[in-house]
Amino acid sequence: MRRLAALTGLILAASLLAPLPVRAADTLPPWSENALREDVDIDALAASDEDPIEVLRPIGEELFKAKFTTLDGAGRPDATRAIVPTKARRRPSQVFQRLAGMDANGCSSCHNEPVIGGAGAFTANVFVSEGFESADFDTTDPQFSNERNTVAVQGAGLIELLGREMTTDLRRQRGDVLASARASGKPETIDLETKGVSFGSLTAYPDGTLDVSALDGVDDDLTIRPFSQKGVFASLRQFTVNAMNDHHGMQALERFGADWTGTADFDADDHGDEVSTGQISALVAFQATLPAPTRKAELPDIWQKAAEDGERLFSSIGCAACHRPALPLESLVFHDPGPFDTAGTLRQSDVDRTLALDLGTLAWVKALPRDDKGRVLVPLFGDLKRHTIADAANDTFGNELLAQRFVARDVFLTSELWGIGSTAPYGHRGDLTTLNEAILAHGGEGTDSRKAYAALSEDDQQAVIAFLRSLEIAE
Amino acid sequence: MKSLGPSLSAAVAVCAALLPAPAFANGKPASLAPVPNFVEEAEAAGIDHVYDGAWEFFVGGGTAIFDCDGDRRPDIFAAGGKNPAKLYRNESPTGGQLNFALTDSGMSEKQAQNVLGAYPVDFNNDGVIDLAVLRLGENLLLEGKGECRFEVANRALGFDGGREWSTAFSATFEPDMAFPTLAFGNYVDRSAPGSPWGTCHDNFLFRPQTGEDGKVSYPEPTRLSPGYCALSMLFTDWNRSGEAALRISNDRQYYRGGEEQLWAVPPGRAPRPYRKSDGWQHLKIWGMGIASIDLDVDGFPEYALTSMGDTKLQKLDSEADETLPIYQDIAFDLGVTAHRPYAGDDLKPSTGWHSEFQDVNNDGLWDLFIAKGNVEAMPDFAAYDPDNLLLGQWEGKFAEVGDTAGVALDRRGRGAGLADFNADGLLDLVVVNRGANVSLFRNTGRGTADKPKQLGNWLAVEVRQPGRANDRAVGARISVKTGNRTVVKDIQVGAGHASGQLGFVHFGLGVAERANVRIKWPDGDWSHSYRVFANGHVIIERDAAKAKLWYPAPASD
Repeated sequence: MRRLAALTGLILAASLLAPLPVRAADTLPPWSENALREDVDIDALAASDEDPIEVLRPIGEELFKAKFTTLDGAGRPDATRAIVPTKARRRPSQVFQRLAGMDANGCSSCHNEPVIGGAGAFTANVFVSEGFESADFDTTDPQFSNERNTVAVQGAGLIELLGREMTTDLRRQRGDVLASARASGKPETIDLETKGVSFGSLTAYPDGTLDVSALDGVDDDLTIRPFSQKGVFASLRQFTVNAMNDHHGMQALERFGADWTGTADFDADDHGDEVSTGQISALVAFQATLPAPTRKAELPDIWQKAAEDGERLFSSIGCAACHRPALPLESLVFHDPGPFDTAGTLRQSDVDRTLALDLGTLAWVKALPRDDKGRVLVPLFGDLKRHTIADAANDTFGNELLAQRFVARDVFLTSELWGIGSTAPYGHRGDLTTLNEAILAHGGEGTDSRKAYAALSEDDQQAVIAFLRSLEIAE
Repeated sequence: MKSLGPSLSAAVAVCAALLPAPAFANGKPASLAPVPNFVEEAEAAGIDHVYDGAWEFFVGGGTAIFDCDGDRRPDIFAAGGKNPAKLYRNESPTGGQLNFALTDSGMSEKQAQNVLGAYPVDFNNDGVIDLAVLRLGENLLLEGKGECRFEVANRALGFDGGREWSTAFSATFEPDMAFPTLAFGNYVDRSAPGSPWGTCHDNFLFRPQTGEDGKVSYPEPTRLSPGYCALSMLFTDWNRSGEAALRISNDRQYYRGGEEQLWAVPPGRAPRPYRKSDGWQHLKIWGMGIASIDLDVDGFPEYALTSMGDTKLQKLDSEADETLPIYQDIAFDLGVTAHRPYAGDDLKPSTGWHSEFQDVNNDGLWDLFIAKGNVEAMPDFAAYDPDNLLLGQWEGKFAEVGDTAGVALDRRGRGAGLADFNADGLLDLVVVNRGANVSLFRNTGRGTADKPKQLGNWLAVEVRQPGRANDRAVGARISVKTGNRTVVKDIQVGAGHASGQLGFVHFGLGVAERANVRIKWPDGDWSHSYRVFANGHVIIERDAAKAKLWYPAPASD
């Protein structure tokens, strides 16, 4: 196999000392319909001198593009899409099913606009909900499910690193206020802020108790969860394990294995331990290293001028209060597994050594601007914070009936606007065809900015659109 | 390599992947659930305490696990028999090795002697946990004064501690009562003619009475007669009626014509034993300890009863009228008979004492711990009789892992308790042994003493009713829902063997990273659903809109 050949030198050198990091299926004929062809021993890889990006990324790309088959274990006849392993009440009559899933047999069958890893059209919408017991959902009635448009993954490695740093920072502040209350013997309150983003306040008491009722835009455990439109997943790894089961019926050992379910074949499709920790790591590495969206180069003068005006207006009318142009990132080393995952997603405590993916070695990261402290400025146009985005007067974005993972129906993570010029249609349901409609759909905390936008002249509104349309995922 | 090949090779690979783990290991069913690693470190932790004494202390040897100094970390009170009972203050660093400091409880030397067991309970609703102390001689109600100091409150409460040989205790708050109703179980009446055979003492029920001056006292107790040498008792809502009945496990060694007992304790009325005409089935065992949990979450708790030989696991008979206390024994079906040692060469029956359902590997399934140990030197029973750790399995049965988990010491266990002493989310274990030092096991999860590793996700829940009687919500039920799965646990004072706990209630969450928690308060009202995240301590106060969180001081503080 290709990877095996590339690693021959390493393997020959290390074979007396350590197991091979990459294992390939040498028994498969070229015409095999198996999508799982390679696996990685992440312990051996972490212990080697090999660059994990070099090893994992191509395998991850193949897995991301793969169309999983029943030979791999695709399908989950006895399991639901639920994040916590849950038995279906009865087997679905069809393997594929657009609502309760499985609804795809490859990541890239939805994440493909304008390139692999990108967003999806309305036709690639998925339906999310918690705790599905059965596949008997044959309706799009929103009381049973929330419909979501596919988002782009480009730049997700930097997003997760920002989230990790913000989580660390918020938890440090929590520790500080608890220590302060213990020392002073009286309640102490702290306003939480990290990377310039405010997350409400915490009040600590001398006995170590904590009042979290004044938190804003973050979960009570102070974990920034930057993934999904709702902002409810902490890591690419957690999201990947969820999605592999949900969309493809490919069950990861670290969540659905015998430790946590009592069986190697929880979905009862006669394939045990379907996805290894190494294969999940490969998928994570591919997504984490996908180049971040950029700005269109070589725009016509008229568009360039309008985009520059529009960017100024974008800030002046308040959009940038949430869609922050950039957040600073201290470290570019992406450790897998990450520091804030919990049981069911591989944790750092589950391995002897983490894989250290140095995103700083990637050309597209090197090209990003840095601030005067040397921090990379991640141009995400977001704040990794959740906001109420609908109200009675403007409930376009409040069109769901179900809360998701403790997050109210009218609350969403600020969409990162980098790449927005490549990812129409817009909105969490993907049902707004123009950026103008998407901007005018803002309610709740976005009301003032929406009103300010609406009050702009036609030319100025067009300038804002020109600016947003210049933010692209390069093809 | 996974199942990568097509056709025959694929089939072979698939079959190999699906082979179950060995069904049996060392002749007993193997555990598919992860096995925690317990490390014994009593001596290093500063605990030097032996329960011992003559025949009267063949039984007892309990421990009360509760927070005596207001830091929310569980401290340990351990009975000593002829040796003085000791109180150890928990000074374990968060996530680190266990560490305890002997502290002066305020008991006199005389009061601290002849102690068989103790149960924590906040009988005066001041938020500071008190102790009911079982003794050979006068039982004591110790009022917690904070800073791990106690004062005997017998006189202030008009409580007559008696002169009996007390070996069991349970407490409940009856409706509209400011103070708890206390049940004391007694063993042999040594002064009766023919003692010890057939001379079991009556048990006592103390109900609080509020005087015209507003003071609460415990006047003359109601005698629960006949007594059959109780070694464990528990107020439990066995029939989902909202009214706790008193289940008593009795030692057949000394009674004549006795049996296991269940007493109806209707509010404001005299207690009444369930009889055969009520459906109560005659059962004679060497009843030593009760553990209760609702395994199948049908609202009707199951009861594990330790004995010599078979442990019983009683489930309300599904074919009988559910208003009748007719139980079937499912211990064999579920693999928890634990009737003889699982390790060593001794095939004689074993002797079970304290029992407790907890989740030691945080997989979301209840596990059962049983302290084991020969009464003294009974030749017909196993001499080497290691404690059991029976891990719940997803198929509904239990698998013995005491040896691989590291708890199979050659000691005569008696009372015990599982609690998270170092606030790392893994339940540790303390066992009081007869004639040997207390065993204190640190749960290091999947790791080692030097490098502990977490198992599943977890949640610790404290429930309070500020400003009301029954501040600690004894009788409340905590319901924890993850995905579509719900587990429940009641807040109870009683059961085990002379050992009780009060404080955070521990739940394993498996791979769930969040949970919905609801409380059924002692008066029957349900709370709204509290949304909480895994791997933390939460405090739910009645009527509070949101749960509070609690964080232990970091190890460096």
